[in-house]
Amino acid sequence: MSKKTTNRKSFKGNLEDAANAALFLAAFIGIWQLVCILGIWPKVSLPSPEMVAESFGKIILNLSLPDSIAVTLGRLVAAFSISITIGILVGLTMIRFKGFGKTMNSFAAGLLSFPSIAWVPFSILLIGFNEFGIMFVVIMSSVFSIMISTYSSIRNIPPIYLDAARNMGAKGVSLFRHVTIPAATPSLIVGVRQAWSFAWHAIIGAEILMSIVGLGHILSVGREFLDMSQVIASMITIFAIGLLVDRLLLHKIEDKIRRKWGLDQHR
Amino acid sequence: MTKLQAKNIVKRFDHNGNPVVALDGINLDVQEGDFLCIVGPSGCGKSTFLNIVAGLETPDSGEILLNGKSIYTPGPDRTMVFQEGALFPWLKVIDNVEFGLKMAGIPEEERRQISERYLDMMQLTKFADSYTYQLSTGMKQRVAIARALAMDPEILLMDEPFAALDSQTRDLLLVELQLIWERTKKTIIFVTHNISESVILGNRVVIFKNRPSKIKKEITIDYRRPRLMEDENLQKYYHQIVEELKSEVIARIKDENQ
Repeated sequence: MSKKTTNRKSFKGNLEDAANAALFLAAFIGIWQLVCILGIWPKVSLPSPEMVAESFGKIILNLSLPDSIAVTLGRLVAAFSISITIGILVGLTMIRFKGFGKTMNSFAAGLLSFPSIAWVPFSILLIGFNEFGIMFVVIMSSVFSIMISTYSSIRNIPPIYLDAARNMGAKGVSLFRHVTIPAATPSLIVGVRQAWSFAWHAIIGAEILMSIVGLGHILSVGREFLDMSQVIASMITIFAIGLLVDRLLLHKIEDKIRRKWGLDQHR
Repeated sequence: MTKLQAKNIVKRFDHNGNPVVALDGINLDVQEGDFLCIVGPSGCGKSTFLNIVAGLETPDSGEILLNGKSIYTPGPDRTMVFQEGALFPWLKVIDNVEFGLKMAGIPEEERRQISERYLDMMQLTKFADSYTYQLSTGMKQRVAIARALAMDPEILLMDEPFAALDSQTRDLLLVELQLIWERTKKTIIFVTHNISESVILGNRVVIFKNRPSKIKKEITIDYRRPRLMEDENLQKYYHQIVEELKSEVIARIKDENQ
């Protein structure tokens, strides 16, 4: 099979996906419009698509939306980088010290299902209503997922890879660098993707309760002013960013690695 | 010259809390240039023995001497061809072959030369830039052999490398391996449960007893090469080994039914 045909095929596939997505979106807006015309809810509670579009225009022009996006993503990237660093370091320590690893694994599993919003009061009292308070909530919500997936990705490496590598003289740092890391990567990236979605949940929640700027904040401003159009516009933004980051970044990376590893051959 | 010596190798396992003796004193001398096959019933510990030679497992007592020096750790002087799945999926074929050389710190240019030579020997040049999932099982095992040979080991260890192959591919590789052995003069230890394989490949065939395993018998096969599966003159060796193994297989089945 030549490379060209696969490319053309996937291009056609993309076009088809885009068409399906457009159709889905059109149907969604159509039904929304229809519900508005039927007047089941008053316009204050359920604005029409145009009103939301208008609201979009307003918050884009007065820069509150672009600013909020920038602030939120800035916090998220900073907190998530810290999360990845700490998560991986602790995960590796868990591998190195078996007893600690076992204990920490159950501990982290408990914290994994801990709702991110429940960190907010703790963070407010410990750190305060500031950037670091918000980042703390995001870190606590995502770091355990990365910790656990680092730990389990390395533990689940097929022993035969390590045997083969040691058999060819790999040990210590070079074994780690040339075998452990690449062998653990496909599974680790799944964990990172999950952690990203936890972090995304956490930051919006934390911003609603703790912030005076950011996407979560404009959402809560909309509520305070009974401005449903702004609430919906913010929600759509949050949805779109979540989707774009997952599809265009994380999913692409995962897909690329899986393909290179030959993991998608038997579909 | 004696290349490798196994001295009274004992290995015990813990099986659901009960100690099981896998190897009960294995003594074996491997001469330079030997093509030594180990056959035995499944679960008799022949793969364990090979892992001990490779340094991947440690014996409970006894020692392995390579060129008169005892060895305890894995090393590139004893490279192994595993049953299957031991190639690295994140590396291209050529990088798989070069892996050990890279670990040994050999410069890139020299690595490339060596790996190209062995890829050529295994007729894999066209697939140098492929990833392993793009290869058939037979090709994967040829890559594994190239990877092991590229290290220029003192001894090549092979742990049922053809067990997962279809019979045509296996017949082909059985001939190829004999040619490689004649060409490179490598000392080879080849573990298999397939009696025909051992007769075709080995100039010495060592028969392992059922657990607790000892060496039951050794036969020497002095016959021209390349030997082929259908050669009738090899039948007598085949039957001799079958005869030796019959009681062991029965004992093995009894063990399993207990």
